[in-house]
This record gives sequence, structure tokens and C-alpha cells, in this order.
Amino acid sequence: MNSQIFHPFVLPFVLGMAFVLTYCFVGLFKVILQLPKDDRRQFLRSLVTPKTAWANIRDLFGDCLFHVKIWKRNPLLGYMHSAIAFGWFMIIVIGHVMLFTLKPLEGVEVEGFARTFTNFYYPIFFKYFAEETPVFAFLMDFFLLMIISGILIAVAKKIHSKIVGVKRVTKFGFADNMIRFALWTIFPFRLIAEKTNIMAFWWLYSFDLLIFMFMLPFTRYMHIPTEALFILMRHAGLNAREPRKGYALAQLYSCPSCGLCIDACPMSVNDKMSGNTSAYFMKKLRNKDSEEAKRIAETCLMCGKCVMICPVSIESCDIKFSQRAAVPYEIHSDHSYLDVISTEAERSGEISSTKPKTLYFAGCMTQLTPKIMRAMQQIMESAGEEYDFLDKDGGICCGRPMLLSGKVAEAQAMIAKNTELIKKSGATKLVLSCPICYKVFKDEYHLEGVEIQHHTQYINELVKNGKLKVKKADVNYVYHDPCELGRAYGVYDEPREAIENVGNLLKAKSEKELSICCGGSLGSFNLTQKERDEITSNSVADLMFNNPDEIVTACPLCLKTFARKSPVPVKDIAELFVVHQA
Amino acid sequence: MDFGFCLSPSSHVKMDDIDLTTFNRLKDANPDINTCIACGSCTATCTAGNFTEMSFRRILLMLQRGKEEEAKKMIQRCMLCGKCTLVCPRGINIRKILLDITR
Amino acid sequence: MKENILIIGGGAAGMEAATQLQKMGLTPIIVEKSENLGGHIAQWDRLFPAFHPAKDVVDQMLSQVKDIKTYLNTEVADIQKDNDGFHAVLSNNEKIDAKAVILATGFDIFKAERKQEYGYGIYNNVMTSVELEKFFRTGKDERINNPKKIGFVHCVGARDVKVCNTYCSKVCCTTALKQACEIKEVFPDAEVYTFYMDLRMFGPGYEDLYLKTQKDFDVKCVRGRVCEVSENMDGKLVIKAEDTLFGKPLKMTLDVLILMCAMEKNKSIDTIQQKLGIADNSDGFMQNKDMYLGMNGTAQDGVFVAGACTAPKSLPDTIGEARSVATQVFNYINNK
Repeated sequence: MNSQIFHPFVLPFVLGMAFVLTYCFVGLFKVILQLPKDDRRQFLRSLVTPKTAWANIRDLFGDCLFHVKIWKRNPLLGYMHSAIAFGWFMIIVIGHVMLFTLKPLEGVEVEGFARTFTNFYYPIFFKYFAEETPVFAFLMDFFLLMIISGILIAVAKKIHSKIVGVKRVTKFGFADNMIRFALWTIFPFRLIAEKTNIMAFWWLYSFDLLIFMFMLPFTRYMHIPTEALFILMRHAGLNAREPRKGYALAQLYSCPSCGLCIDACPMSVNDKMSGNTSAYFMKKLRNKDSEEAKRIAETCLMCGKCVMICPVSIESCDIKFSQRAAVPYEIHSDHSYLDVISTEAERSGEISSTKPKTLYFAGCMTQLTPKIMRAMQQIMESAGEEYDFLDKDGGICCGRPMLLSGKVAEAQAMIAKNTELIKKSGATKLVLSCPICYKVFKDEYHLEGVEIQHHTQYINELVKNGKLKVKKADVNYVYHDPCELGRAYGVYDEPREAIENVGNLLKAKSEKELSICCGGSLGSFNLTQKERDEITSNSVADLMFNNPDEIVTACPLCLKTFARKSPVPVKDIAELFVVHQA
Repeated sequence: MDFGFCLSPSSHVKMDDIDLTTFNRLKDANPDINTCIACGSCTATCTAGNFTEMSFRRILLMLQRGKEEEAKKMIQRCMLCGKCTLVCPRGINIRKILLDITR
Repeated sequence: MKENILIIGGGAAGMEAATQLQKMGLTPIIVEKSENLGGHIAQWDRLFPAFHPAKDVVDQMLSQVKDIKTYLNTEVADIQKDNDGFHAVLSNNEKIDAKAVILATGFDIFKAERKQEYGYGIYNNVMTSVELEKFFRTGKDERINNPKKIGFVHCVGARDVKVCNTYCSKVCCTTALKQACEIKEVFPDAEVYTFYMDLRMFGPGYEDLYLKTQKDFDVKCVRGRVCEVSENMDGKLVIKAEDTLFGKPLKMTLDVLILMCAMEKNKSIDTIQQKLGIADNSDGFMQNKDMYLGMNGTAQDGVFVAGACTAPKSLPDTIGEARSVATQVFNYINNK
């Protein structure tokens, strides 16, 4: 204990802290001001709505401090993150609590402004200026050691990432490496300073804090303060509308570049392509490298796996989508020709049937896989369904591919025309065999009174209610979850339930929300055939994990893509229910 | 001087005067463009081609024969559905090229 | 100087090489996996460009190899090489020692169902060129029922990145035109269309064949690739293609659609090929030493190749290569 209230070594810290606080507050107002008016109102209202407020508190602790999501995926990494975050949080909290127990030092009166000023740095350098009670001393040492144990794992991860079960880690530049080094050394310095009271270490400790805080806004560690804001905004239900503004900006700064998405990304089949993963996209966009951000946004398959596994729940696909939408176009679509299109039934005036009808929309891709169309027709016939084809002779695109290019307004013509055709048909159920269509019909179409089903759900329902009689065969199938059906809508169980009626269902190595995109996705514009092939081979290998006799999928595009590289037959789920009909 | 008749504009494609800037820009970004064998698969499968004149094969030719305006008009019909890319026997990333033309 | 030469494959290349080697005083041994010699050509009715019966050629070849030791229904199960030459174990457990090996394993036909948009295996009236040839030979195929409109699709499984075959299969163009004439002979009132990108009439008399299709048979050639096939209510096929010369997409109803399936490498010998250390070339066929003077040689000393195992080839090409491989083997044995 030193009988003084100030020592110059606190200045670097005070300076750093003042800087980072100013920066954060300016940033906070900037982000909130950038929100569109409606979003801003929605955000502010959510802060006082009990339900969202509770979710906010839960996630602020669960995500920011305890890193629950990382724990679930990888306990060792979870410990590493929460040891550092929670440990640090606790020594700051305990430091402040101890302020209240602080008795004025003998002969030193601290009052008024000086007292406020000391409060700023006392908790950080407590041991230098005051004495801790034994309980607090123990707690402080405990959490300090906890942090250091986390840092030891981090160092091990840096030396050899496989120790903690990570294959590819994010590659960093000079600034990120430097701040990381500062972070790693802050706590050992503090420990040594506290235990030895050598002035040099107090100075080193303080300078480390300065470096850390001064560099914080310019590195990935900005995620520490920003994540809190992001959690609040996410719970308010906002959407990213512009790639570098408002909610999107909050997300950009919340990305810790932890790199968990790198191993998850289907593109990470080689080093070059792993540069297209979300971690790098966020980094490039944050650093205003707009050319690269644009390129990555348009290369992404939009499979959504990175969003699914992101420990911070960053909606990177939405940001990529807004990035695509932000690209200016010289030529705009003109789909006015759609106005005059009518269905064949309409032309022949056969449209008076009032019976509840099932309408099947094959979609563009299914036109190239006649087996699926044929199978659907046979299934609907056998089940005695009252059905009709919406696009037997070629139809209008569902609009999703246009949306994926970011041309939101230009997709509307197709959506409007299809809506009109469906409504005119009088159908009460719309069945789609293409998940690409399924997603856009679910998201963008307003078809009140029409139930929208993917054919996996439809077939499962037909089997369940006994309309479609099947028999089980001794064939080993593996099911591939199409991205726009599985991750987008959680349709995991119906297809599996259905397949179990006709054969044995084996597991793939990565299933359900972790399933790997086939590589054929319309989401990507830039990938070359060769690059796609590499992704496909990797995905096929994953499906072949338990040596199935056949690969089953539920998407015409997956079907065509896999068929090129699969060593076993690839079938659409509908085909099985034709082959195995009782 | 009046010869009593006038020359109507030649119907030849004037290969010497063609501005290939747009095509070259596309070619640099998508070198596969030159592997097209003009098989017409893209046109035959085209969803928009069901209702309109839309033909990617012809758009490529128009851009190489100085009919850029016509090409840009035709491309407005495209729905970006990607069928052309799926059927192309040369593996040309047609959807990307279509997008690039409109930029 | 009786030296054994192991010939794997008893098609045109294998038989012709064996014939020549025997005349040179060596001892060829043919191992053929199917139940008779002749290979694909034995399944053929007539040959382009002059409609010569395939049977004539095959019978002549068979008569020449009748004294040559031949194993039918037999495959090479294992093969080793040492200083004395090659030691093969056959699937019937017999052992053969040979000074040299000739791979004359030929080709397989592209599986048309892999090109799903053409509807083979989905729609009844879509058939392959091989099946049509069988119809010409036997006169029987329930799919061919006095058709009025017949279409031929070129390049099925060839020049197509989407099925991982970028090469031209060489003989399909001429075969299509030959078959178009033949089907016109059977059904003179039928309309016959071929959908092509390029008509590669590369050999002697081939261009004359083309002229014949136009002058004598009125075969209608449409320049465009069929991209989708569907079936209408009457069970007829509806095809979509672009007429690229006219510059418009077309739709057409057909009674029968013939798919000109490409040649692919015969993969049944892959394990033996690997044991011998011979790689595949970029088209997936066997890699020979080079395409000029080393066309019969391989990376493995004493292992030779002939015929369609290295690339799609016509029958004359194959016979030529079979004769040249015999010379190469003869020189190899004598210079040793």
C-alpha cells in the first residue's frame, strides 16, 4: 500500500480509457442515428418491452460473458473465451465494489472532484493505492488466474490450432496481432505488479492497457463493446438494410473474427477458397475494402451455415445480401411481358372447378430433372389427389434467383404474376419440389388461404394419412439436407420420417443444420465450375461417411450437382416413393 | 452531284468499326466466354425465352458485332433463374456474365 | 523364338493385334471378359460410310484368330512384373507368363440416364444409338412402332463439361447420319431430324455420306443442341432446342428420340492399369507415351496400348493401331 492517491503510471490507462469511451459513445450514436426511422423507434421500444428486455439481459450475460454458444460447440474454446471475458468482467466489478469498502487512507483526504477522478482508475490499480480485504484479495487473485488460464489456451491455439479442435484459423494483420499480444500480457503484468509491487510492471500494465484500448476500435476486439449493442438490436428484430450502416455496422464491429465460420464454410476445401468465408467478408467490409467485400458477397453460396454456427449470431448472409443490393446497375429488368401470360387452363376456360385442389409448381430447375416431375405426378395419381400442374409446359421463375442477386424490386414482377396465377387456380395447397422456390414462396409471397408445402412434407403427409401406400425395402439411404429447406426452415424431420418408411436411413457425417452445401447453389455468382466441383466432392464424401447405397436429396439442383461426383446413385426423395409403392 | 439514286446504308457488319469495350470487359472477368460453341442450349432452355426473344447466345454475338444496344435491351427480359448456366455444356458461368452486362 | 504376348481385350484391336503377332512368329494370348470375341463391333449392324456389314469384318477377324489361345469369360485378376517379364493371374486362377502386355480394352458407352434432361429411362421412346443398331440387326424393338418423326441428338455425353467429358467422341456424327439413312430405308415416310452442333465428317467417304443424307434421304439437320425432353398427353416426346441458324428456339413432337452416346473409357480394367502404373489422360482414357511416334507405348516398359482405350476411335483407326502395336511389340521383343 502506498500512501498517495495518484501516480503518473495511471495516466496511460486513463488516456486509453477516455479515448475508448469517447469512441464508443460516438459510435453508438452514429449507429442509432443511421437506423431508418421506423427501425429506430422499434429498437427503442424493444428496450422497455419486458419480453425483449429479459432476452437482452439473458443474452448479454450468456453470450458476452459466458459464451454459451461456444461452450456448446467446443467446451475448451468455450472455457477459453468465458475465462477471459467473465474473469475480466469480474475483476472490474469487484474492483468497483471494493471502492465502497475503501476507507480514506490515513492522512490523505480525497474529496469532491479528486474522489471522482480516483474512482476512474482505483479499481484498475487497486492494490497499489489501497488494501484489499482477504475475501476480495482471494476473489481478485482467483479471477486473475482464471483469465491467465484462458490466455494460456489462446497461446496454445495460436501455436497449434488443432489442440483445441480447430482446423483453420483466421489470418490476421499486424494490428490484430499486436493488440492480441497486448491483451495476452496485460494480466500477467498485473499479477506480477500486484505481487512484487515493482514500479516497472505497474507501468507495463498501464501501457498495455493503453495499447489495448487505443487499438481496440481499429481491430477485431471492438466486438467486446459492440456485441452488447448488437444483442439489443437483434432482439429488437431489426434487419440489415445497408452493408455499412446502422444495424449492419453494429454487426460488422461485433464480429470477433473468431474464425469458427471458416471451418464450417463449404468453401473451405482449400486455402484459397477459405478466404471467401464470412470472417473475411466482415473484416474486409469493416476495413472499407469494398471491392473485396463485394467479391466475397457475390461468391458466397448463401447456404447459411456460418450464420447457424456463429457464436455471436451475426446475420452475415443478410449483410452480404444488402451488399449485393447496394451494387448499382446500369440496366434494369423489364418483365412487363409477364402481364399477358395466362395458364393453359385459363386459356381453355377450364378454371371453374371449385374442388380444393393441390397445385404443383415444379420450378425452373425441376424442368431439367424430369424424373422428379414424373415421380410427383405418379405420387399424386396414386394418392388420388385432385391436382394440377402450374408450370407443366414451363412456367415463370419464382423470383428467388433474382432476389439473390440483390435486385429486390425486380423480382416483384415474377412474384406478382405467380401469385395471380396461383390465386386464380383456386388451389388450397401449393406443393413445391424445389427448396429454392419454397423459400421465396414462404418469405415473399402473400398467398392467404393457400398452404405452402415442400414435397418432402407433402409426401410424408400422404404416407402418414394412408393415402400413399409404400413398403420398406432393404436399401441404405443417406439424406442430404438442402440449405434452403433445412437451415432456412428447419425441415429436417419430415423427409427423414418419410424415408424411414421405404428404406434404412443412415447418418451423414454432417447432418441437419451442419449439412454441407452441394456446391451448386444459385446463391453464388462467382464460383467457377472447378471450384464448385471441389465443394461437391467434399460434400459427397461427407454423405458417403456410412457407405450408403444411394444418396437422397430433395432439391433438383442438389440432385444435378451431386450426380456429377457421386460414386452411388443420387435420387430425389419423390423417386423413392414411386419405386417403393405397395 | 445527283446521280438520280441514293445508296442505302450497307447491311454489312462493319467489323473494322466495332467497339468491343463491353465484350472485352466481360471476357477479362469471365475468360470462359470464348469457349461457347453456340449450341443454343441456353436459348432453348431459357425461362424468359418461353415468352420473349431472350437468347444469351445471341447477346454474346450482338456484343461482338456492334449491336450493344440491342443486347442490352434483350437482357432486360432475363429472370436470372440460372437454367442456362445449368445446361451449358461448356460450363460457362452465364448467370454471372448476364449480371456483369447489366452493370 | 516363341514368346508369349498377353493381350487384354478381344475386340477389334485385340484380335487384329493377335493376328499380326502370330504372323510375326510370337505367341499372342487373348483374355476376353465377355463370352465371345468381337467387342462392340460384333453388336453393330452396318459400318459407315459405305454401309458395309459389320459381320463380314468381324467374321474375317474371327477366322484369323481361331488358332490363337483365347480365354473367354475371363479377366486378369492380378499382374506382376519382374526381370523375366509379366506374370498374370487370371480370374480362373490360371497363370500366364508373358514378355509383353497389350491393353486393348476399348471403350464403354456413356450411360444416357446420366443426362437426365434427355429422359432416357424416364420416357419410353428415348433410346440410344446402340439400341437402334440392335434394332437394325434384329428388326425388333417395341419402341420403334412405325414412327412418323424421329430425332437424333448428337454429342450425348461428349463435349459436355456437365458430365465431365469435354472431348469429342469422334464417330457419333458419322454414325448418326448413317443411322438416319438406315431408318429412312426402313420407314421411308418418316421425317428424320438430327440435332447437331458441328458435323465432323473427317474421313474418306464421310462427306459423301453426308451428301447422301441430304440428296437421297432428305434427313433434316438442325444446328442446335437439344436441351430438354418431355412427354405430352399422347405419350409423344416433346423436345426443346434452339435452331441456331434461324436464331429461334424450337419445340417439336417426336415419336422416337435417338441419343448418340459418346465413348467413355472402359473402367473394368482400372485396377490392373493401376498395378501396371499407367495413368489416365485428361479425358479419362489411358495415357499413352505420346500421340505421335509413341502412340502404342505407355509409361511402363513392355506394356502397350491399342484401340479405343486411349481415345474414341473409329474401326479403321483401331485396326491401324492394332497393326502398329504388333510392330512395336515385335521390335521390343527382338531388341531386348
